[in-house]
Amino acid sequence: MNVRDKRWGWLSAGLLIIIIGIVAAACGGSDSSSSSAADTAAADTAAADTAAAAGEKKIVMGFLSNCEGPFGPFWDATLAGYYTALVQFAGATPVDPADPKAGVTGAMVPGTDVAIELNTNYGCSDDKADKALSEAKRLVEQEGVNILIGPLSGDEGIAVANYAKTQPDVTFLNGISGAQDTTLKVQAPNFFRFFSDGAQWTAGLGAYAYNVLGWRNAVTIGDDYSFPYTQTAGFVSEFCSLGGKIDERIWPALGETDYSSYIAKLPDNVDGFFLDVGGTGTVQFVNQFTEVNGNDSLQGKVMGGAFISNPAIIKELGAKVEGVVAGSALPSDATDANWTAYSDAIKAAYPEMVGNAANIFLAGYYNNAQAAILGLQAVGGNIDDAAAFQAALAGVEIATGVGPVTVDANRNAVGPNYVVEVNAMGTKTLFTVEGVDQSFGGAFSADTPNPDRDNPECVAGNPPPWAASITK
Amino acid sequence: MASGVDSTVGGLNGVMARAPWRAGSIFLLAILGLSLLGIGIQAASDPTLFAQITLNGLTLAGLYFIVASGFTLIFGLMRVVNMAHGSFYMLGGIIAYLVQERMLNPDPTSFALPEATVTSFVVPLVVSMLSIALLGVVIQQVFLRWNQGQELRQALITIAISIIIADQAVAHFGGIAKEISVPVRKSIELPIVGMFGTMRLVMLLVAILVGVGLLLIISRTRFGMIVRAGVDDRHMVSALGVNIQRVFAAAFFLGALLAGLAGVLGGAVNSVNKSDDGKFLLISLVIVIVGGMGSLTGAAVGAVLLGLIDSYSDVYLPDAVTNYGVLLTFFLLVFVLAVRPYGLFGRAA
Repeated sequence: MNVRDKRWGWLSAGLLIIIIGIVAAACGGSDSSSSSAADTAAADTAAADTAAAAGEKKIVMGFLSNCEGPFGPFWDATLAGYYTALVQFAGATPVDPADPKAGVTGAMVPGTDVAIELNTNYGCSDDKADKALSEAKRLVEQEGVNILIGPLSGDEGIAVANYAKTQPDVTFLNGISGAQDTTLKVQAPNFFRFFSDGAQWTAGLGAYAYNVLGWRNAVTIGDDYSFPYTQTAGFVSEFCSLGGKIDERIWPALGETDYSSYIAKLPDNVDGFFLDVGGTGTVQFVNQFTEVNGNDSLQGKVMGGAFISNPAIIKELGAKVEGVVAGSALPSDATDANWTAYSDAIKAAYPEMVGNAANIFLAGYYNNAQAAILGLQAVGGNIDDAAAFQAALAGVEIATGVGPVTVDANRNAVGPNYVVEVNAMGTKTLFTVEGVDQSFGGAFSADTPNPDRDNPECVAGNPPPWAASITK
Repeated sequence: MASGVDSTVGGLNGVMARAPWRAGSIFLLAILGLSLLGIGIQAASDPTLFAQITLNGLTLAGLYFIVASGFTLIFGLMRVVNMAHGSFYMLGGIIAYLVQERMLNPDPTSFALPEATVTSFVVPLVVSMLSIALLGVVIQQVFLRWNQGQELRQALITIAISIIIADQAVAHFGGIAKEISVPVRKSIELPIVGMFGTMRLVMLLVAILVGVGLLLIISRTRFGMIVRAGVDDRHMVSALGVNIQRVFAAAFFLGALLAGLAGVLGGAVNSVNKSDDGKFLLISLVIVIVGGMGSLTGAAVGAVLLGLIDSYSDVYLPDAVTNYGVLLTFFLLVFVLAVRPYGLFGRAA
């Protein structure tokens, strides 16, 4: 072996190391094999005999969420939402009230003697569309699931909705993924979302910034993927419709940890920022922002989306985010009958989870699982005709913590949105925007460009109907 | 060194192999020149911003250096590609956070986070560094020692360890980023730069101290002498009667200790984040390959290059492509490998 060969040896070894490194980094160093199979639970898998006896198609319900990746910590919350709906509406009993993973037994279609078989080889994704898709395929094609509840995050939802088109006999209900395209653009006839999308969660924010805080120009900062695009689209559309200007839209890569240079770049001569840096990034961004600008620098200057109003994030950031105004699909301070009924249902099934009532991850799975049960009830537990079941599902009205929710023609929820202020208790609702639909007062349709780095454009005129009533 | 290699091989093959390298180098140099020109023009238009992000880049480089110096020490001496190095970094932050949480005992009903005192910062720092160092030695003794010289096997073992650590971390620590509280004022006013994070400056200072300390250890102590000799020829050192196993254990102790230190500093400046393990492993690999295996100066230069690229690309790339800033890191890698296959300060094995 001569010296030249040696050099090539080291060179290729170096490249090999880099490739391994990239793979390790891409997988967050934790690309362990799917733990779904390992998550065996003692739930009811053999209860479907009664259905088979009636000669009808067995009802097998599957669950797809994130047990790894940036949203992995919300795995239990999503399971709790899913099973709480089954306990409340399908008469199931939790196996272990302290642990949602243990599953439930005895789920029946209400008003019938048809059992719902719950598949407990849960779909475990990691925030990546390909993983969600392969898990959805596994559940549908190998496990024989004919109703699937999930997935959790933006790009995953788009992928699963597209897959739904190839499986017309299977009915898909979203978990809590919030990209606009999932329902507005993909329009799979068998994909339902009984929870609003990310843009709907910002209804009222743009008008609050323009009319109440007096912002005239703003800069947006969000992770570079479909969910923050959707949230930013809602804010931009409403703020610009009133005459506001967006000076710049900044998109750090998802998973960035050092935001200091992005923060240095933020212009001084701007009235405020719309912040939609998500998950762990929120904590880092806010810490680095306050490091340079002072502990109370966010108040009046920064508005946020779903991340900054999340109870877990608020707990981590403390007083730094006190007074920050954000859009939220849920009012953590509500005390009315709807909210009480919803949180009591969680308490009855999983007492330790009641603190997560205002966690959208729990609520999204709760809404969609409930819709599936009520849809089954509407067809008397007979899903032989998938199209009839789906038609019934489209007409279901579910009971949620924020009141009754229905879906529109694209099978996406229409419901209220809350503009909240972060305070020492969590959040305080400033005002509610009722009946927000996915078109966002006419701004979005199947023909408008997909929300992305540059879209929607900032155009004045045609403000959404609720904007005029939001004043000082 | 590289030209020496070529001349020994000589002949037509050598000439033919070198020609494309030259064309590639010229191309890459042209790109480098253009980017420097671009940065220069931007810098002239807003010197304050330039000063801020340069300091951001340098302080970040400090953190990178502390992590990578431990990695290069282990890599250079033992030829162990420690794929669990990023996990050491992440665990360092987690342990310090958990110890500090116990010490500060935050009131769960209170909204304000307690401020750390010097003690409640230094104790978690030391506990965390020592725990990680011990963990490093245990891993080296239990898993790697009997696989000496089997580089691929060692790499695979450490990958397995890093996966186990990552999954355990998310199970027991959760995925929400946490911040380690520090006893200093958050920011200070600097000339030209304006307000700047105090802990970032502290981090840079610590990195410089670590660098100087390591240089002194390597150049002035018996341990350092053995390490230097070991980097060049392990077998000869062993044959001369040095207990190379003890030196290996010490190197692992020191390398892991540094990763733990960096984890705590990173946790105080950015946050303790479950997904940092993969990121910092990759950064260490890139720095070591750019700087040259086992070279401390190389690690410092590599860290500075990476830190500055990271910082400048966030700001000076057009908004549409800032996301791809990380690619520039790999252009740097390709460039260095093309021009100097052993890294900027590396030598042939």
